[in-house]
Amino acid sequence: MAPLLSLTGISKSYSRGRQYVRVLEDVSLEVDPGEFVAIWGGRGQGKTTLLKIAARLETPDSGAVRFDGIDMMGLSEARHARLMLERIGWVRRTGPRSELEMIDYVALPLLARHRRRRAYALAAQALERVGMEECADQRWESLSGGERVLLGIAHGIVRSPQLLLVDDPTANLDVVEREHVTGLLRSLADDEGISVLMAVPDAPASIKAHNIGSLGAGRLSFASKSPVPPRRPDTPGEDGDNVIRLRGRG
Amino acid sequence: MSAKIAVLGLVIEEPSAPYRLTAKLRQRLASAEFVDSNVYSALSRLEREGLVRPVAVDAAQLAESEVRKPTSRSDPRRFEATPRGVRHFEDWLLASSSTPPLRDDLHMKIALCQPHNLPRLIDLVYGQELVCLGRVEELKRSFERVRAPDPSRWSGLSRVLVRDAELTFWDSRMTWLQGVRKSLEQMSRDFQGATRER
Repeated sequence: MAPLLSLTGISKSYSRGRQYVRVLEDVSLEVDPGEFVAIWGGRGQGKTTLLKIAARLETPDSGAVRFDGIDMMGLSEARHARLMLERIGWVRRTGPRSELEMIDYVALPLLARHRRRRAYALAAQALERVGMEECADQRWESLSGGERVLLGIAHGIVRSPQLLLVDDPTANLDVVEREHVTGLLRSLADDEGISVLMAVPDAPASIKAHNIGSLGAGRLSFASKSPVPPRRPDTPGEDGDNVIRLRGRG
Repeated sequence: MSAKIAVLGLVIEEPSAPYRLTAKLRQRLASAEFVDSNVYSALSRLEREGLVRPVAVDAAQLAESEVRKPTSRSDPRRFEATPRGVRHFEDWLLASSSTPPLRDDLHMKIALCQPHNLPRLIDLVYGQELVCLGRVEELKRSFERVRAPDPSRWSGLSRVLVRDAELTFWDSRMTWLQGVRKSLEQMSRDFQGATRER
């Protein structure tokens, strides 16, 4: 199977004050269709940089990034913007500081391409997929940390991307919320065939991924590459716990 | 942690046959690396000390088991905890836990390494990083083999918390190893530079 995303020989350095810090050194990574890959590494080890390079939001010093066979570095700005709009989702942890209701926020990326009714129907579906339909009329400020992450995922998947990039989704979540969020990401890969590349600062948050890579001191290492299990298109999650209901759980 | 106390805890949860206990122990406390014989000898000791007792499956099987070596692999009996066993377990559960020992071969090698051996030491440290990653992968696979625990219930939450304890151990060791490798790589570059200048 050809990988959906491949990063080959990526190196990246920054200058921090007088120091020249090499955060990524000849890093290579592949993400297959429907694969959930977790990059586990401590703070400042280059996880976010790696995600940004995967989306070409940052340029590496050397190395190649290919998405579905397309050389990301060779894309024009317009084609890159279109790719990011249609095929790659980025889960944000920050939301709108405005009077927008969450259904508006999730529908927003669709309004340029769809009629309003269609955009709102898709947004409602995305909210339902993450178990947050009850928050449709809420505002960002009123949501808990766990709910904000789920809203970010709904916002990321509303355009039905092939690849979802997720940076530290479990920060400040308790164990129950963390298990729900990572279980949801796993089910997006298993049930809907969305490839997920997630960066997390600790091993417990990485455990539901198909494959776990450790990033530290410039190197990215994998124990071994596990095959992605066959997709389960129309079956519910293992014990139904992928339907997230943080509200009222306690 | 001893196999004896782990087996006693599992028997209190649910009276079980030895073969069931070995499977449960592997599933619940994978990183403790207990082997099957630990369970059988723990059961023998617990039975001798009156902390567990056998429950007959049926009279014929029990009679047959009595001519065999007690608590062998073919032992058909289930074991349950005695009231004394339950008290013993609760005493252990509520007592403060001892500090785990910290004695690592690698610490000694780092302490005693000479600069000309740094490249080899860097390889050893990286090898240990891969060991950590392998252990995380093993834990992941052992959890994937069974139904996902529901952390909103105590039975599921306790499994997740124990798993997290093991993962956090490997996590912090990995962080330490990566920091060590980074420092050693820098030191090695400096040493090689200084050697070339001489």
